[in-house]
Amino acid sequence: MLPIQQPIVKIKKLDEDELAALKKRVDVATTIIIIFIAVLIARLWFLQIHNGSKYEKMAENNRVRILDIVAPRGNILDRNDRILVTNRPSFNIIWTKEDAPDPDGVLKRLAHIMSKEMTYLIQKIRASADNPRHVPIRIEEDIGWQMLAYVENSRFKLPGISIEVLPRRDYLFNNLSSHIVGYLGEINKNELNKLRWDNYEIGDQIGKTGLEKLYEQSLKGEKGRHYMEVDARGFEQRRLKGQKPLPGNDIRLNIDLALQQTAEKAIEGRAGAVVAMEVNTGRILALASSPPLKLEEFVGGISSKSWKSLLDNPLHPLVNKSIMGQYPPGSTYKIVSALAALSEKVINTESVLYCAGSLSFGNRRYGCWKKSGHGAVNLKKALAESCDVYFYQVGQKLGVDTLARYAKSMGLGNKTGIELQNEKGGLVPTSAWKERKHKEPWQKGETMSVVIGQGFNLTTPLQIAQMTAATVNGGILYRPQLINAVIDPDGNIIEEFSPVVEGKVSASKRTLLFVRKALVAAVNDKHGTGGAAKMENITVGGKTGTAQVVRLAHLKGIPEEKIPYKYRDHAWFTSFAPAEKPEIAVTVLVEHGMHGGSEAGPIAKEVMTKYFNRETETEQPALMSGL
Amino acid sequence: MFRFDRRLLFNFDWIMLLAVLLVAIMGLTNLYSATFPGSTYGISPFTKQLYYYVFSFGLIFFIISFDYKQLITWNYPLYVCIIFLLIAVFLFGGTVAGTQRWINLGFFRLQPSEPAKLILVITLASYYYRKDTGKGFTLQELFVPIILTLIPFVLVLKQPDLGTALMFCVIFISMTLFVKLRWSTLAILMGTCLTVIPIGWKYFLKPYQRQRIETFLNPESDPMNTGYHIMQSKIAVGSGHMVGKGYLKGTQGHLHFLPERHTDFAFSVWSEEWGFAGCLFFLACYFFLILWGLNIGISSRDKFGLLLAFGIVSLIFWQAIINLFMVMGFLPVVGIPLPLFSYGGSSLFTTMLGIGILMNIRMRRFMGRTTP
Repeated sequence: MLPIQQPIVKIKKLDEDELAALKKRVDVATTIIIIFIAVLIARLWFLQIHNGSKYEKMAENNRVRILDIVAPRGNILDRNDRILVTNRPSFNIIWTKEDAPDPDGVLKRLAHIMSKEMTYLIQKIRASADNPRHVPIRIEEDIGWQMLAYVENSRFKLPGISIEVLPRRDYLFNNLSSHIVGYLGEINKNELNKLRWDNYEIGDQIGKTGLEKLYEQSLKGEKGRHYMEVDARGFEQRRLKGQKPLPGNDIRLNIDLALQQTAEKAIEGRAGAVVAMEVNTGRILALASSPPLKLEEFVGGISSKSWKSLLDNPLHPLVNKSIMGQYPPGSTYKIVSALAALSEKVINTESVLYCAGSLSFGNRRYGCWKKSGHGAVNLKKALAESCDVYFYQVGQKLGVDTLARYAKSMGLGNKTGIELQNEKGGLVPTSAWKERKHKEPWQKGETMSVVIGQGFNLTTPLQIAQMTAATVNGGILYRPQLINAVIDPDGNIIEEFSPVVEGKVSASKRTLLFVRKALVAAVNDKHGTGGAAKMENITVGGKTGTAQVVRLAHLKGIPEEKIPYKYRDHAWFTSFAPAEKPEIAVTVLVEHGMHGGSEAGPIAKEVMTKYFNRETETEQPALMSGL
Repeated sequence: MFRFDRRLLFNFDWIMLLAVLLVAIMGLTNLYSATFPGSTYGISPFTKQLYYYVFSFGLIFFIISFDYKQLITWNYPLYVCIIFLLIAVFLFGGTVAGTQRWINLGFFRLQPSEPAKLILVITLASYYYRKDTGKGFTLQELFVPIILTLIPFVLVLKQPDLGTALMFCVIFISMTLFVKLRWSTLAILMGTCLTVIPIGWKYFLKPYQRQRIETFLNPESDPMNTGYHIMQSKIAVGSGHMVGKGYLKGTQGHLHFLPERHTDFAFSVWSEEWGFAGCLFFLACYFFLILWGLNIGISSRDKFGLLLAFGIVSLIFWQAIINLFMVMGFLPVVGIPLPLFSYGGSSLFTTMLGIGILMNIRMRRFMGRTTP
């Protein structure tokens, strides 16, 4: 139904004269339109028929190509602006399908020049078969000077093949701080979908882990492009003006190159982690995880064989143990227990308890590591000599939930918030947690394990470092910070990060000072467990720890060296110096290292020694220029 | 009040509908190729344009449901509305590539400068109809239409969108020349234009606009930047030859040599793939539609209907001519779409509304006779 309204305005009809006059005008308009149509058709004839072959040739032979120029990624610098990771030029052999008139012949000749099997080349091409015709396929990456010369000399026999110069990540100190830096890889379909507005293309390198991933946007820079005219055989005719790429921003770490080198060297050959942190700011001076990643393997795509061997390695090189490794804190947790006990006033600094080598509770015997017992023990001695029985008794008085409250105030059980992905938060057990997780009530005996850092407790080495720093700096919990600043290519600071306070330890200054002194005794007293970290000129404080991996009866009585590697205890040592006015906290974890004092202690000592003798700086290696 | 008149059904303009459908099918076919293989994210331009077409056919049926003569009373309210929208673009509009042309409605980005063209046509037709004495217009009588044209012209020029702004002038000139002018008026107007153009060149055009025109005049001077588009378009059209490279096989389009290949340079894609033969068929359908529109005007037998039809026809015609001339390298790149053929909702809706009005006029060509 069409609703029809009466027109409100009366429109008068045209009379014959007027109509005739207007008809003439319409005729003029029609003529003009027809003239334009004629012009259009003539033009089309001229372009398509008269000059058609010429334009066809232009379309075929004289193509203007727009090629992206990869921007050099930003450098990664240490706290003193020494370059850890930069770029160097690399040469790749590429093949453009569209430009290749005789692909079989060309590839055969190329295989001959490269002295490779034809199947090797075909495999490479198949891997990128989905690329559009005009997007080049990389056949061989980072070729040597010799092959470069061969290919360049034979360019005229190899239409469609060309050499691409790309900036390539250059790890000046090989695998140094590999877990922090992270590795690059070719962008995959998922990432391409997610980042589709960011000018990424197939074949681009993108940060896959570590800071390369987290700071991808900052590091990647802005692509440039050049325009070139190429003929149908893919030879460049002339290059037209384009845009230069804009290098990425540099990232300045809080890491100290020399200290990081020392830390990695000290733990080399073992699985574990070293964390060195500024006590009064939370800045990370060194963060090592062993074994390191071989970053060079990842550039341009890791082979599936290497990847498999990484996955199968029993030392788990892919895991950044400093933030992803979760271990029972062992006796380092006695710092928490001591602070909780003093603050809750279940003991005082002079309380003496008796250690006979073990304590019976319920129908079980809970042993001290020293089977002969420590005798009469006060808190200072209990910390210095790591007496378990003393803390069993303290734990019973405290209860697990009170203990957990103190642990959480020291950052345990939560992610520290360091600028790395996949950080683990560890676990601080409570009775509510057990009820929820295991549907069972908390057993009093379990508190005995928890109070000495065994049982359900889980911590990362970074958390223990943060806890140590908070204990000795007067109770301030700083967020560990890896990054100092983001700097643009001209050297201007874009973003600078100042220390962040995450919380306060629930203990008084006096209590904290007492515990600090006890920890100094643990390193410096005759019977202290941390004697291996003792230094000559600087007074060090610290706490050893041994984290049980399994508690198997059948391992009892077996000599230590006969215990299978995977059942051996983890070794902890967390320390700080100087004792009077602490500046640095160093935490070491050696997986399956068995003895905190003798295995982890010397590593911490090496790092401390380096820290207090920083005059001998590592020199900046020469850079490859040209990009 | 609502009296259904059976004659309207008999008089429905099937010819115009057929012509529009033909052009629409060609436009959609071409759009599919221009955006092929298409994006895997979101709705493809092809699907969107299909929706726009369905909606705009609805618009036609809406517009033919009431007598076009009512437009003469609605012209000023419509005009005020569109001016507000053009101002709103500056206040709420999104900036794309340094220009502010769109108002984001969430589901659709409206470009108010498109419907503004049609509303200017309606406004001018109403004004000229009311004031026409048969003796020819004097300069004083032209003062109001000049102001009516200048307001949207300046607003759109500031976006900046030189091409669309110039369309307002083209519409004004076409319609004003169509109504009777005194010779003295004509002489004065021509004189003013000749003096204004160089001044405008110097003071009003943005550097990029001036550069576009300069490179058009000498395209080889800068093959990579502004001349690049024209060169690539000419290569695309020319390499189409007699019958084209075949559907979905145009290299210029699919290898990304053509800029804006689904909007302003859609016809380049068509020429490349369908060749001279395809172009002739397209031009035949398209200009049949335009000439039919003119025929509707003269058959309406009232001056308002004729003015309206003439304005709408000139709106479509000039946009088509400018776009085709640009594609074929006769004009600089000005960013005028090919109505009904280029991708874009605002332009399509405007053109279809115009066609709806033409069909409306056609349907009611005998209506006046019963109530003379």
